Amino acid sequence: MAWKRICGADEVPENTAKKFDIDGIPILLVNYGEGYRAIPPICPHMEEPLEQSGVIVRCVLTCTKHLWSWDLKTLEMKGETEKPLKVYDVKHENGSILANIEEELAYEFDDAEEEDDDFFK
Amino acid sequence: MKITVESKSGSCAFQCGGNETILYAGLREGLNLPYECATGTCGTCRARVMSGEVEMRWKDAPGAKKLKPDKGDVLMCQTRPISDCLLRVPSDIAATDGNRPTSRRGVIRDIRKLTNDVAHFDLYLTEPMDFEAGQFVVLEADDLPGGRAYSMVNFDNSAAKVAFVLKRKPGGGFSDWLFARGKDEVQVEVFGPLGKAVFRPEEAKNIVCIAGGSGIAGMMSILEHGTRSGHFEKYKGAVFFGVRTLSDAFYVETLARYVTASNSKLHVTIALSHEEAKTPTHPNYPMLRLASGMVHDVAAETMKGRYENAVVYVAGPPVMVDITIRALIMGGVATSDIRYDKFS
Repeated sequence: MAWKRICGADEVPENTAKKFDIDGIPILLVNYGEGYRAIPPICPHMEEPLEQSGVIVRCVLTCTKHLWSWDLKTLEMKGETEKPLKVYDVKHENGSILANIEEELAYEFDDAEEEDDDFFK
Repeated sequence: MKITVESKSGSCAFQCGGNETILYAGLREGLNLPYECATGTCGTCRARVMSGEVEMRWKDAPGAKKLKPDKGDVLMCQTRPISDCLLRVPSDIAATDGNRPTSRRGVIRDIRKLTNDVAHFDLYLTEPMDFEAGQFVVLEADDLPGGRAYSMVNFDNSAAKVAFVLKRKPGGGFSDWLFARGKDEVQVEVFGPLGKAVFRPEEAKNIVCIAGGSGIAGMMSILEHGTRSGHFEKYKGAVFFGVRTLSDAFYVETLARYVTASNSKLHVTIALSHEEAKTPTHPNYPMLRLASGMVHDVAAETMKGRYENAVVYVAGPPVMVDITIRALIMGGVATSDIRYDKFS
C-alpha cells in the first residue's frame, strides 16, 4: 500500500480535472461532484491528454476527440467506448485527496496481459 | 496478397493488391476497420504489423507522429503490402452494413469560384456511386500524388456526377493547384464513399448542423436529402453556417430555397465572426438570419435547451469542431447524437 497525497480537496473544482506529478507518475485527478477519480492522464483510445480533451458532465467523463466516455461513479463504458478506464484507489482524508499508487497504470494494445506491449504508452 | 487482421473481436482476412492501401482494401471488403480521415492526418487507422512486409507511402504523415515504427506500427491508410501480412488493430472489427467503398475514376470539370477562397467543382464518375448524405470521398490527381478528402455537396442515388467545395489554403498544395485549374479537366482516382456522419431520414429526428466555412459541404447534402425526402414536413432543422464576413458566405441561394421549401421548419443562421451583422437577416434573402460571433457560440446561444430529439452534425476547421463538440456535451447532448468526421 502506498497512499500518496495528491492535493488539497479544494484544489480541483467540481466537474474539472487536473494533472499532478506524484513521484514521477502522472496522475489526473477528476472531481465529478459526487467523488473523485485518479486515472492515467491520457485517453485509452488515442492518447489524447484528458486534462484538455476531457469534459465532465453529470458524473460522465467524455473525451471530446472521439467521444469515448465513462460513468465515473460505476466506471461503466458508455456508447461506443471500447476500453475501460484504469483507476487508482482514492480517499478523502483531513482535507486532502490521496491515491493508492503501487506503480504507474498504463494502457496496453488490447485487453490481454502483455508485459512487453506498449502500443499505448 | 492476403492480409489478416487480428482485433479484440476476432480475426479476419482479405485480399489486397500491391497498389492499394490495406485500409482501402479492408473497407472495400465491407470491414469496419477504424479510420476517420483516410488520408494520413488523424492517426485513427493505426495498426501494428506482426509479420510480413509493408511500405508506408507517406512516412511523414501527421497522423503517424505517435506511432512506434520500430514496433511495426503503421497507418493502414498509408500502407501497401509487399507480402502477405498479419496485423493487429486495437479495436473491435466487424462487417458493416452500409455502402461499401470502392475505387473508380473521375474527371473534374467546371471549377467555379464562389468566393475569394472557395470554389465549387463537379466530378464526373466513370461508374455511378451510391452514398449517404454527409459522406466523403478521397480524390487523388494523377499528376499530384496523395489523397485528399472531400464531402459530397449534392445528394443522389447512383450519382454519376458529384459536387464538392474546394477551400483554397495558402500553400495548401492540392487545393492551390486545383484552384488554378479553372476550366481544365483534371483526371482523378476516387475512393469512397467514406464517413459515418450521415443523415438517415428514418431515424426520425430533428437535425442541427453547425458548420465552419467549407464544412457546410456535407450539410448541403443532408439538407438536399432532407428537403427531397420531406423530412422537414415533420421535423425541425437548424443550420448554423460560420463565415468570416458576409461576402465569404456561399450557397446562400440554395440555403434560402431549402428554408422556403420547408414551410418554416428549417432555420438557417449565418454567423459572421469578423464583421458585425448589419441587419438581422440577409439583405437579399430575408429567410436567412444573420448573427455576429463565432458559429459555436451563436449555435449554443440559439439552441440552449432545444436539443431534444435532435441529431447534431458538426464540420469545419479542427479547432472549431473541438470547441463545438465540447459545448454540445456540456449542453447535455448525448454522444450518440453528435456526428462529425474530422479530415481537414
